[in-house]
Amino acid sequence: MEWLDERTIKLDKELNDLDLFTLRVTRVISKYSEYVLVSGYVSILFGNSRTSEDIDIVIQKISKDKFLSLFQDLERTGFWPVNVNDKEELFEMLNDNLSIRFADKEKVIPNVEIKIVKDALDTLAIKNRVKVNTAEGPLYVADIALQIAYKEEVLKSNKDLEDAEYLRRLFRIPEEKINKWRTIIHQYGR
Amino acid sequence: MDDNLRQRREFVRFWADYVRTHDDKTWSEQQKTLINSVLRSAKQFSRKEYLERKGE
Repeated sequence: MEWLDERTIKLDKELNDLDLFTLRVTRVISKYSEYVLVSGYVSILFGNSRTSEDIDIVIQKISKDKFLSLFQDLERTGFWPVNVNDKEELFEMLNDNLSIRFADKEKVIPNVEIKIVKDALDTLAIKNRVKVNTAEGPLYVADIALQIAYKEEVLKSNKDLEDAEYLRRLFRIPEEKINKWRTIIHQYGR
Repeated sequence: MDDNLRQRREFVRFWADYVRTHDDKTWSEQQKTLINSVLRSAKQFSRKEYLERKGE
């Protein structure tokens, strides 16, 4: 992998099934909203030796009409909602800050867990997202220093701490960048 | 930290160094074998069972 600039990475990896699922679903989502991939999948994309059954993604607030179009597009592309079939109810769930999940039809694993931005930290995560160019198209992930800080300061499970350690070791991000995000995370009460 | 956790942490460090020092194709072929094998053998629950498992 190679940094092309401060916000772009070229990743020449052999794509696995989880990467291909993520590329397929984000290709649809990106037509309706900016998004950012967060949490475990970020370390997996960059090679961490583990898998995950769900891909966490944050999208911008979207109108009901736009959501209904997104829903139809996802269905047409071969996905189904895991939570409920009713698209109106799914839209309400999103707006109540609940996550909704989509998987390939007749399956539940892997699935994408979609949330909308709930505060300024989420908005910053989208604004500072990093573009990762793969052979099958781009993926947008959270800033690596933000990922490390969030996993170490907020999530803190063994798996999260391992992911943080993996990203630290792989990218060798300067501590001051991680500290900057730490401060922002605390400002927003996470 | 228990022994399993310590060993896992050591492996995470080893693997990060491996990924950093090898080209993408080399490490990602190994990762692909692992991930595809886990996902393809994953039990496909019903939607209801899955959400219950997740506490949703």
